[in-house]
Amino acid sequence: MKAAGWAVLALAAVLAVGAPGFFTAANLRDLALNNVATLITAAGLLLVILLGEIDISVGSQFAVCGLVIGVAPWAAPVAGMALGLANGALCGGLRLPSIVVSLAAMVALRDAIRWTTQGAWITLPAGFQWAGLGQDAGQWLVLGFAVLIVALLGWALANVGLLRNIYAVGANAEAAHLAGLPVAAVRIGTFAALGAMVGMAAWLNALRFNEVQPSAGTGLELKAIAAVVVGGASIRGGRGTMAGTVTGVVLLGMIGAALTFLGVSAYWEKAIQGAIILAAVVLDRWGGRDAR
Amino acid sequence: MILLQARGITKSFGAVRALRGVDFQATAGEVHALVGENGAGKSTLIKVLTGALEADSGLVERAGSVAAVYQQPALFGELSVTENLALAVERGRVKGLINWRAREARAKELLSLAGAEIDPQRLASTLSLPEQQLVEIAKALGTDARTLIFDEPTASLSQHDAARLFRIIADLKARGTGIVYISHRLEEIFEIADRVTVLRDGESVAERPIAAVTRTELVMLMAGREVSAPEPPSGKVPGEVVLEARGLKVRKGEIVGLAGLVGAGRTELALELFERGEAALVPEDRRQHGVIGAMTVAENVTLASLRSLMLDFPAEQKSALDYQARLGIKTASVNALVDHLSGGNQQKVALARWLATSPRALVLDEPTQGVDVGAKAEIHRVIRELAGQGMAILVISSELPEVLALSDRIAVMRRGEIVAIRERGQADQHQLLDLMLGEAR
Amino acid sequence: MPANARWVLAGLIVAELAVFGLIADNFFSVANAVEMLRLAVEVGLVALAMTCVITTGGIDLSAGSLMGLTAVGLGLLVEDAHWPLQLAIPAALLFGALAGGLNAFCIVRLRALPLIVTLGTYSLYRGLAEGVTNGARSFSQFGDGFRQFGQGGQAWVLLGAAILFWLLLERTSVGRAWSAIGFSPEGARYARIPVARRLALVYVLSGVMAALAGVIYAARVGQAKSDAGSGYELSAITAVVLGGTSIFGGRGSMAGTLLGLVAIVVLQTGLRLAALPAEFAGIATGLLLILTIALAAGRSWKTWVAVGGVAVALAGWVIVRPQPVARKFTVAMMPKAKGDPYFISCRKGAEEAAKELGVELLWDGPTDLDPARQSEIAESWITRGVDAIAVSVLNRESISPVLEKARARGIKVVTFDADAKPAARDFFVNQATPQSIGETLTDEAARLLGGKGDFAVVTGALSAANQNEWIVWIKRRLEKYPGLRLVKIVPSDDDRDRAFAETQTLIKAEPTVKLFMGISAPAVPGAGEAVKQSGRKDLFVIGLSLPNLNKPYVRSGAVQSVVLWNTGDLGYLTVWSAVKGQSGASSINAGRLGLKVIAGTEVILGTPFIFNKGNIEGFDF
Repeated sequence: MKAAGWAVLALAAVLAVGAPGFFTAANLRDLALNNVATLITAAGLLLVILLGEIDISVGSQFAVCGLVIGVAPWAAPVAGMALGLANGALCGGLRLPSIVVSLAAMVALRDAIRWTTQGAWITLPAGFQWAGLGQDAGQWLVLGFAVLIVALLGWALANVGLLRNIYAVGANAEAAHLAGLPVAAVRIGTFAALGAMVGMAAWLNALRFNEVQPSAGTGLELKAIAAVVVGGASIRGGRGTMAGTVTGVVLLGMIGAALTFLGVSAYWEKAIQGAIILAAVVLDRWGGRDAR
Repeated sequence: MILLQARGITKSFGAVRALRGVDFQATAGEVHALVGENGAGKSTLIKVLTGALEADSGLVERAGSVAAVYQQPALFGELSVTENLALAVERGRVKGLINWRAREARAKELLSLAGAEIDPQRLASTLSLPEQQLVEIAKALGTDARTLIFDEPTASLSQHDAARLFRIIADLKARGTGIVYISHRLEEIFEIADRVTVLRDGESVAERPIAAVTRTELVMLMAGREVSAPEPPSGKVPGEVVLEARGLKVRKGEIVGLAGLVGAGRTELALELFERGEAALVPEDRRQHGVIGAMTVAENVTLASLRSLMLDFPAEQKSALDYQARLGIKTASVNALVDHLSGGNQQKVALARWLATSPRALVLDEPTQGVDVGAKAEIHRVIRELAGQGMAILVISSELPEVLALSDRIAVMRRGEIVAIRERGQADQHQLLDLMLGEAR
Repeated sequence: MPANARWVLAGLIVAELAVFGLIADNFFSVANAVEMLRLAVEVGLVALAMTCVITTGGIDLSAGSLMGLTAVGLGLLVEDAHWPLQLAIPAALLFGALAGGLNAFCIVRLRALPLIVTLGTYSLYRGLAEGVTNGARSFSQFGDGFRQFGQGGQAWVLLGAAILFWLLLERTSVGRAWSAIGFSPEGARYARIPVARRLALVYVLSGVMAALAGVIYAARVGQAKSDAGSGYELSAITAVVLGGTSIFGGRGSMAGTLLGLVAIVVLQTGLRLAALPAEFAGIATGLLLILTIALAAGRSWKTWVAVGGVAVALAGWVIVRPQPVARKFTVAMMPKAKGDPYFISCRKGAEEAAKELGVELLWDGPTDLDPARQSEIAESWITRGVDAIAVSVLNRESISPVLEKARARGIKVVTFDADAKPAARDFFVNQATPQSIGETLTDEAARLLGGKGDFAVVTGALSAANQNEWIVWIKRRLEKYPGLRLVKIVPSDDDRDRAFAETQTLIKAEPTVKLFMGISAPAVPGAGEAVKQSGRKDLFVIGLSLPNLNKPYVRSGAVQSVVLWNTGDLGYLTVWSAVKGQSGASSINAGRLGLKVIAGTEVILGTPFIFNKGNIEGFDF
């Protein structure tokens, strides 16, 4: 997390000198809006990673939830939770390895979407955009709602017994069981919570436009995992904070726009992103944190 | 008032009978010490008393709950002290919001009861070992335990920290808590205990008020009455020195026993020799280090001696079958998984692995721990045979009769140093125990 | 238990073969066997090394990206440095070893987790490939011998590699060490296994195999681009896990991995030959994966539930399969990408024509812009024995030999939207050339900007071939307008949201830019939404897209013009040409479109059309 924080500061310093235009309120707001989906997904994914599990099907879940909005706008989080429950039942209930389960879910859901939609976009009712508000109010609504959800989750992660249990289960499931925690229920519930968050992300994203693309969310899983990990969470579970994850999202979300402002060709963006992830790994190791 | 009463406790692990009809009780306001050699059954008894293990037969009655404070505390490292305490106290009952203020207040209260000056917001992973132990005590207090069991709490504490712990124990005792205290340090027993029970080979051999027993008597009780006569000198001609570390020399064809208490630094010495590449090592932790349970017997036997690139399966089978016969490994097939073998047979596999490398020197760390009597005798036979063939052997054992029976020479280790070396026949169990405990000269 | 899972998998393959033998055309044929083998090679090579990696308890997500980077590196060495292939290929493999070495260094020396490290290099290697080629460059000057080799010779490479890896993993002390490390790194250390060296070796080998797969990809497709091998790491992992290798490490089985590979390839090819939706492959693979790990975990009754699920799914296929009817003339039509709204509207016209003509229409294509996948689908149609093939070509170098083969088998070949080599097809249904698209767009930009000013292009994927060709023509046309300046090209990955975000950033980062030119269907509405939300009235958006996607923006004035032809008509005309087109004729009577001119072998649809506020409401596609 520290590495990510320093990287954000360093990038900000470079921008302050090289492209002060980056720091206009409008740009920062738009940038934040464009990263709302990643932020909420990463926040949910943090919970699963704290458990010592992983879910690489969030991108496909995102697309499914988007399509559900076309049918019933408010049902997206419910649909997400249902998908999360399915993953949770297999990983937390049957104790199947989450990387394989979610790989299966990722591939199967994505192809199911392709099959049912044949790629067609779904047009939402005209009044759906910005929830029928004006653009200014709508933008603040989406942004405010996203920040509120993440802040709430971050707060709940620290203060609500049910969520707090995730840390104990992720750090040492055996000891948590001995301490009387319902380990399987915690696991299943956490996957379901992630699904609900993904549904929320899809819903907030759909609010910003008035069509839903079935190809949405491709690559979202990698962005979100990278953000959580760069934000200092241990993929082995038990360690990680919401603040760190938010820092990770900020860093990875900033890079693309920063490169544009600095006049760097977009062709190098992916390479620089990869280099930053590796650098965070190296810094964390040299900083003496135990990632193993 | 009796808080904890156990009668006729029997417990076996496979062929090993850890406890045989043990009686034990804890009384309010009394410190009851439990002593015995390593392997006498103390840990098993604690687990039965706390309810972590079910006894095969016998009865445990508890008035109020029983909590144990172990030598190695088990805290959630990434959580704060407050939270560790809360998890223990609330036992997952908290459903809604966490009241951090109440939790912290409770944590402070428990910590002060335990006599600890620790900031409850610190992460458990940042605590020193004595601090973690204090948190464990606070945890135990938080569960309203009326009986507290301390399992070698001072083994890794400084004198200062130990003294503080004794004050806390005295406090607890004064408040009517029943204390069960386990330690190898006999001076501590005489300092704080009111009563002492001696366990030997899974049996309770004596229960006395502390005033009614002397140190020498205690040592006698622990070691056993029929002290074996000193073994005659082996008459071997010592060969060249093969192993050397911290003033300890092991010669060709010689078996050196290394005695010492848990934590005396014996395993570290063994690892040092292994990592320098001078000796093969059959490590203490069989399941984690000695064998790979998910691989077959044959695969385990050859794992350290795969010299060529290509595997030679017929040779592997032959080698495994050879060692199976030679060491008497009881398994349906050499292609069975080691996980399916009993502890003694797993140990033989671990031994076979290193014999297959034809080492000049072999270090065995607790080679017969948790092994049944038959397998133990076989392992001893093999060790003697190997020495006879010219191997230099260092046997680390907490079981003094084993050390005495096997060794040509016996070294005693205490706090990381070799404090004494005795020729075969020059020491008996009492003297060794004295040297290990570090009080007698 | 793994052996048990392997038998179940073998049984499933037999079931697959039986089902497809019944419902797929020409499934049991030599041609199909060769085709399946070719398909399997690259994923197979990656999967072989991945089996070893997973056996040690690790994972390598960077393999697919490294394929792309190596393919590009090979192209650079051959085309720019003029190295002979005999030198360039070993150099590429050496490079793969180095790239694998970087993974190894981070994992072994820095003791970082494989998942995180290879997630980083996954991004890094793909990004480097895009960076050095500007995404666009595609290499195809490898020579005929290389290309020839890629038509089947690579099967021997897979065979050789499979034997070597089988020996390595299951018959050598190195493989034994990997297995021990996978079960227990500590236990391995206590057996004096050089854990660090063995782990490093496995990642270096994975790098080398990814590089080899990249080279073979270039030989098979006849072209090397930065997007080679996207997603191959996931296919490889799927094959490995299906094969019963434990994801937790320890037991690995090369035979299992090969079975897993066969299961996937048979499924994909079989679905295509049976004209079932290719999407079933993903759904079935997902179910199979869960079944496999459930079996490995020994959850007996739950396993049977899963088996039941798969059985129901299999039965479902048989039920939904097209009922055999009197055999009709079959036109197989392939878009560049199935999900692209442009082609979806094309399909509508094609279906209309098929109905009028009484022919059967097969519609299938890659789900993303993947030229290799196009060749695979075309091959499966040849095997299936369709009467006519119509293709919108992604890469002419790679597909032309396949289409020539189709023609040699007496199949009529038509290209539409984008052409193959002239010898490879009977007709090209030409809606507009890249040149006319580039020129129309540039002219339109010049008109709106009054001949001078800065503009930016929002493209699809940075490596998309057709978009890059349009950009070339746009740049050429700019010579006519000295006052116009193209200041920035940003990618949208054919994602509306990404196009939106990139445009939004550009509006602020490049204040001189007054016009945004979207050249992928979702990019125009994305840019339009960004301009709309910016509230700026002085910005223009134009581009190549569909009227329906852009109507709200054209109405509100955020988008000025959408350049396109009637895509429905394009599909319609293509099917008519495929069925009724006569070589040598000077025109064709194309149903409701009337008489259309044939110039040489090109059927001309008409010139690009500019949709704007004045006329867009009259169109619905």
